[in-house]
Amino acid sequence: MIDRIVGAVVFVISVSAFWVARGYEAGFGDPLGPAVFPQMVAALAAILSLGLMLRPDPNPKTQSRPALARQVATVTVLACYVLLLEPLGFPLSTTLGTACLALLFGAGPAKATLTGAAVGVSLFVIFDRVLGLPLPFAPAFFG
Amino acid sequence: MDILTSLIGGFAVAVTPLNLALAVFGCFAGTLIGALPGLGPVNGVAILIPVAFAMKLEPGSALIMLSCIYYGCMYGGRISSIMLNIPGDEPAIMTTLDGYPMARKGQAAKALGISAVASFTGATLATLGLTFFAPLLAKAAIHFGPADYFALYVMAFATIGGVTGVNPFKTLLAAVLGLLLASVGLDPATGTARYTFGSYHLYDGFDPIVAIVGLFAVSEIIMYFESHATSGAGPAKLGRALPRLREVFEGFPAALRGSVIGFVCGVLPGAGASLGAFVSYSTEKQISDKNGTFGTGDPRGIAAPEAGNNAASGGALIPMLTLGVPGSGTTAVMLALLVSLNIQPGPLLFERQPDLVWGLIAALYLANLVLLMLNVPMVGIFTRLLSLPQWLLMPIVVMVSFIGIYSISHSSFDLFVMIGFGLLGYALRKFEISLVPVVLGLLLGADMENNLRRALSISGGDFGILLQSPIALVIYGFTALMLLFSFGIAMRRQTPPLAD
Repeated sequence: MIDRIVGAVVFVISVSAFWVARGYEAGFGDPLGPAVFPQMVAALAAILSLGLMLRPDPNPKTQSRPALARQVATVTVLACYVLLLEPLGFPLSTTLGTACLALLFGAGPAKATLTGAAVGVSLFVIFDRVLGLPLPFAPAFFG
Repeated sequence: MDILTSLIGGFAVAVTPLNLALAVFGCFAGTLIGALPGLGPVNGVAILIPVAFAMKLEPGSALIMLSCIYYGCMYGGRISSIMLNIPGDEPAIMTTLDGYPMARKGQAAKALGISAVASFTGATLATLGLTFFAPLLAKAAIHFGPADYFALYVMAFATIGGVTGVNPFKTLLAAVLGLLLASVGLDPATGTARYTFGSYHLYDGFDPIVAIVGLFAVSEIIMYFESHATSGAGPAKLGRALPRLREVFEGFPAALRGSVIGFVCGVLPGAGASLGAFVSYSTEKQISDKNGTFGTGDPRGIAAPEAGNNAASGGALIPMLTLGVPGSGTTAVMLALLVSLNIQPGPLLFERQPDLVWGLIAALYLANLVLLMLNVPMVGIFTRLLSLPQWLLMPIVVMVSFIGIYSISHSSFDLFVMIGFGLLGYALRKFEISLVPVVLGLLLGADMENNLRRALSISGGDFGILLQSPIALVIYGFTALMLLFSFGIAMRRQTPPLAD
C-alpha cells in the first residue's frame, strides 16, 4: 500500500513539474531549449511512478519500537541549532545542540552536558584556531 | 613504459610530507569510520569532504585524502561485520555470513587477519588494474562525442543498482528524481530560472555536496533510532590479539579469485562493491563449498567477498576518472568533490592533470600498505572502538557534518537545505528506494542535458543523431540487456504477485 501512495505522490509531482516547465522559453540557436529536458525527465518519472503503483512491493516491516517522538525531536534540535548558530555563536550553540542530541541518544544529563561542552569547545578550537576557518564566536548581543 | 614513467612521477607527488600525512590520516580515519556500525564509506567520505574543503587543500591532496578514507572504510567495514554481525554498509553484508560465525567460535583474530589480507589482495590488484587499464580507457574515450556521452549517462542510470537493487522501478525512479532535482536553478545555456519559485537562494541549484551530506549523514541520524538501537548483543571476544601468519593466508586463493571478479564488477558503471562482494561469494561457494561449511565460519567465505568488495572499489575509480561516470556510490561522492574543485574528470584528465591522477594512483598503493599495517597488528584498537557509546559518536558525526557544510558557504540556508535532504533521504530509505541513483542524477543531470543539447545543435534539432554513432549504439545495446536482465529478475521474484 505504501508503494502505491509513494507512486501517486511522485506522479502528482512529476505532472506538476511537466506543467511548470511548459513556460520556459527556447533561446536562439538552441534547438532543445530549457524546457524539453525537464519535461522528458518528468514524463519518465510519471511513467515509472505508474509502474510502482501497478507493481508495488509488499509493505515494509513495521518498526519495532516507537521512534517517532525522538526522530521529531532530533530534527527540531537540528533546525534550532541552525537558527541559533549565528545569534548565539558557535561554541555555545554547539554545546547546547550536542548536549540535546546526546540526551536523545540515551546519555544521562551529566554526561550529555560534559559531551556538549567538550565537543563545542574542541570543534571550535580545531576548525577556527587550527584550520583557520572563521566561525561566529560570541553571542551577537554581546556585540 | 609510458605508464611506468607516469607512475614514478605519481610517487614523487604522493610521498611529499603533506600528502603522505594525509594518506595515513585518511587510512586511519577511514578504518575508524568503516569499523563503526552503520557508517559506511559513502557516509565517511560525505562527512569528511567539507573538512577537506575547510583545510583548503590542493585538489590533488584532497583527492588523496578522500580516496584513502574510501579505501580505509572498505577495510574497516569488515570489523563490525565480523565482531558484531552488523555490516557497516551493503557490501559488508556478505562478510557477516562466515565472519560472525567464526568470531563466535572464538576465532575472531583469525577472521580479522584473513579478511585484512584479502582486502589487501583485492585492493592492490585493483590498483594495478587501475594503473594499466585507466589510461587505455582514457585513450579510447577521447573518441566519444556528445551523443556517446549521452548514451553513457543513460547506461549509468539504467545499470546503477539495476542489478543489485530491490525493485528496478524504484531504482530508476530514484535516478529520475535526482535528474529533476538537478534541473533546479538557472539553466546554463539560456539563463532561464527553472523551479526556483522566485527564491534567489535556489538560482545556483542544489550544491551536490550539501545534498549528499544531507541524504546520507543526516538521514542516518534520523534512521538510527529505528535501525541500530535494538541490538543488545555486545561484540564477540577478540581472543588472541594477533593471528598466526599461517592462518592469515588460509583463504589466499579464494581472495585472488574474488579480486578478479570484484574488479570486473567495479569497472561496470553503476554496479559497484555490493555486486563485487555478492558475486565473489557465490562463485567461491560454487567452487569450494564441497562439505557445506560455507555460512558456518569458512575462511574462504570471508576472503572471497572481502577481496571482491575491495577490488570493486578500486575498479570503480576507473570509469569515474576516465569517463566522469562513477561506478559506485562513494565514487559518485568523490566525483562531486572533483566537480566542486573545478576539475572535470574525463578522458582529458590524464593528459591535462597527470600529477593529480598519477599522484592519486601512487597514493593508493601506499595506502594499501599503510592499511595492511594498521589492520593486522593494530586491529585491537579499532575493535575496542566498537564499544564506544552511540550517544558520544552520533552527536560528533552530526556536528562535524554541520560545521563542514557551514564552512563552505557560511550560509544557514545551506544547512536548512541539508536538513531537508536528510528528511528526503530518510523517506526514501523508509520506502526502500536507493539513495545512490538520486546522487548520481543530481550530479550528472547538468552534463547529461548539456551533452544532449550539444548533440542536437550539431544535428540542427534532429534526435536521430543520438543513434548514429556506433559507440552509442553499442552502449544502448548493453543498457537494454542490463535493463531486461534486472526487470526479468524482479518479475520472476514477484510472481505470484505480492500486491497488498
